[in-house]
Amino acid sequence: MNTDQKLRQWQEAGLMDSETAERILAFEKRQPTPRKLPLLLIVGLIFFSLAVFSFIAANWQAIPDLAKVLLMLGLMWLFYSIAHFSQKKAVGHPLLFRVIGLAMFGATLLTAAQTFHFPLANSLLPWAMFLASLAHYFYWRNLIYSVIAFLFGGAVLISFLPDIGWTEWGIFVIITAAWFYFSKSFAPVAFSWILLFASGFMLWGLVDYDSSLWPIWTLFALVLLLLIVPENKQRTIRPLYLIAAGMLLVVYLAVRGQTFISIIDESHMAEAIALAFAGIGIFALSFFKFRSITWVAVPGAIGLLLYEETAIGLAVVAELAGLAYLILAQRQNEPLGLGFVYFIIVQFVIYIIYAWERLDMSLFFLIGALLLFLLSAMAWWINRRKEGAKL
Amino acid sequence: MKTWLFPIVQTAVVVILLMSYYAASWFGEQYILRAEPFDPFDPFYGEYVLLQYPDLKSNSITDDSSVYFTLKEADDGYAVIDRIENEPFFGAIEGSIYGGSVTAPQLEQFYVEQGQGPLLESARDLQVTIDVSSWGTIRPINLQERSE
Repeated sequence: MNTDQKLRQWQEAGLMDSETAERILAFEKRQPTPRKLPLLLIVGLIFFSLAVFSFIAANWQAIPDLAKVLLMLGLMWLFYSIAHFSQKKAVGHPLLFRVIGLAMFGATLLTAAQTFHFPLANSLLPWAMFLASLAHYFYWRNLIYSVIAFLFGGAVLISFLPDIGWTEWGIFVIITAAWFYFSKSFAPVAFSWILLFASGFMLWGLVDYDSSLWPIWTLFALVLLLLIVPENKQRTIRPLYLIAAGMLLVVYLAVRGQTFISIIDESHMAEAIALAFAGIGIFALSFFKFRSITWVAVPGAIGLLLYEETAIGLAVVAELAGLAYLILAQRQNEPLGLGFVYFIIVQFVIYIIYAWERLDMSLFFLIGALLLFLLSAMAWWINRRKEGAKL
Repeated sequence: MKTWLFPIVQTAVVVILLMSYYAASWFGEQYILRAEPFDPFDPFYGEYVLLQYPDLKSNSITDDSSVYFTLKEADDGYAVIDRIENEPFFGAIEGSIYGGSVTAPQLEQFYVEQGQGPLLESARDLQVTIDVSSWGTIRPINLQERSE
């Protein structure tokens, strides 16, 4: 029913006078009518593009090499143009068209690589997409571009393997660090931080010295990043440091306790001692400058603790760190969620390491323990809700 | 207007990529290599043939590592290794050596038309035509059955 009819009905029912009805009508007439594409036109367009695409696909082999690449390039231009006009006229979603345009750029490079027999090991495609999406991000500051940049940044790192050079690695680290430094919102900061952390793993391929402690050194190096970022950004990325430190503790504990891979020997003693001293340094630095991430220093002990074959030392440190974190966070009224998750994971890893051989017997106790844990978590939750605390 | 810079720069990247590729033909020499397919498979990227080269052998360098080499045409018209070194030199193709056989990343595989792969794999004797630029980049041109 349109507005005209409705107004007449209301007028007849004595709900409004004719003057108000006329004013409403005059107002409604001034409103711009929403422009809608007719349904048939949309269906027709979909079928038409399907026909065009299947025609191209069927004749793909017959198209000359250069024309294939130009075709994809043309599609890229088409979508960037649509995005431009859709932004100008405020119709549709310019962001969506631009993302498709960016995807078409990737498709162009992929087509070029396939048509002209570039080697698959080539890192050109991920590099080009990484840089292009970063440029898009810095211009439009949209989350979606940072997601794309993150994915292709990861692809760049993977494409480094197995032959990796210092120059390419250095350029990657500088660009990612710049991305980290000039981003403000959480997602791009976290993404660039994760890429920086992951590029530390590449040291395994870069350096001839065979070390198993590169991830810890990387984490310590990343603490220095905090010196150049403003206070509010420090607060944003704090959980990343704690999560990484927690994960490192758990992973080294699991590897040392559960596998028989010898990851450390006498030749690494100097490095383990150096790491411990670096840990003390990080402890001192973070204690005075950014106290909330002091926990990051704990993995400094891992190097020395790895020498102990039963992994008891690592287990004790992981357990104590988890407990101490929970107690301190509780006293300072800070969120406990992350600490809890870490604590549970540590229990699981320790349980599996020391009860693996008697697992059939202990499964019963494990399920019992899980139930108990669940119940206590529920009780804790209800208790907090009753106190009116915000989580 | 700045937004147009994105497609323009991206187009420039593609153009440079294609130019670097065509340059191998404009400023290079053409060789024909004797080739054999091996361990063929058909991954996600499409159909391609994995190749090895019976004529590209090295007696001087045998450890499995990176090598740098140039090609020359032998009397029978197929290319053989001219010079091979452990260290890079100007005009050399960067490749690797495994069990005495020399290959380069661009030579290891060749995309073929859908449906052509199995045919070429069953034909054991193949030949690859490549253009090699004077600075060592390769442009594979053609893969076909060898008629000897």
